[in-house]
Amino acid sequence: MSLYVLEGLRPWVIQRVSAVYIILFTLYVVYSLTTAGNIDFETWRGWLFAPLNTTLVGLFVIALLFHAWVGMRDVVLDYVHNIMLRIFVFGVLIGILLGSGLWVFRILLLSVVS
Amino acid sequence: MNNNSNKSRPVFLNLFKIHLPIPGIVSLAHRASGVLLFFSIPFAVYLLDLSIVSPQGFQRVQHVLHQPMVVIALIFILWAFAHHFFAGLRFLMIDADIGVETIRSRQGAWLVIITEIIVLLLIIYGVVR
Repeated sequence: MSLYVLEGLRPWVIQRVSAVYIILFTLYVVYSLTTAGNIDFETWRGWLFAPLNTTLVGLFVIALLFHAWVGMRDVVLDYVHNIMLRIFVFGVLIGILLGSGLWVFRILLLSVVS
Repeated sequence: MNNNSNKSRPVFLNLFKIHLPIPGIVSLAHRASGVLLFFSIPFAVYLLDLSIVSPQGFQRVQHVLHQPMVVIALIFILWAFAHHFFAGLRFLMIDADIGVETIRSRQGAWLVIITEIIVLLLIIYGVVR
C-alpha cells in the first residue's frame, strides 16, 4: 500500500489543531472584552499593539487561514465536480484568504512602524 | 471525475422534503455557518483596518456598526460563529469518541442548540445595547 492512503489525514489534523487554537483564542478575546470596560481608540489600539496580543492575533490569522481553507475545500470537493471549475474556485478562495491574511499582517505591522 | 456514476444514480436534493435527524441539522448548519463566516472575513478585516488607523476611522467603524442593517447582519454573523463554535466543540468530542452513540449524539445536538440560543440572546443584548 502506498502512503497516499494517509493523504486525507493531514487536512483533518490541520483543521482540528487550528480549531483548538481558535477556541482558546476566542475565550481569551471574550475574557479581554468582558474585563475591558469602556473601549476607545487608545485602549483598542493599545490592546492590539501589545506584543503578546499582536502575536496571538497573528497566530489566530494563520490558524484561521488553514482552518477556513480546509473547510471550504471540503465544501468545494463535495459540490463542485468539474475539474476546471474546481481549480478556478480554489484559486478565488485562496486569493480571498491570502489577501485577507496579508492585509491583517500589514495592519499588525503598523505596531512596529508607527 | 466520475461523471458516469452521477448519471445513473437517483438524486434527491429537495431540502424541504429531506427529513434530517437533529444531529444532521446541526451538522448542516455547521457547514452553512462556516461558509457564511468565510465570506464575512474580508468585511471584518476592512473594519479592523479602519478602526486601527486613526481615531476618525475608529469613530467611523462605531457609526457603521450602529446602522440597523449592519446590526442585523452582525447578529447573524455572530450567531453563525456561535453555532459553528459549539457544533465544532461537539465534533471535536466525537473525534475523541465522546458522544458517538445515537442517543448521546442527539443529546449533544440539542445541547449545542440550547447553548447557542442562550449565547444568541447574549449577542443580541450586547449588540443592541
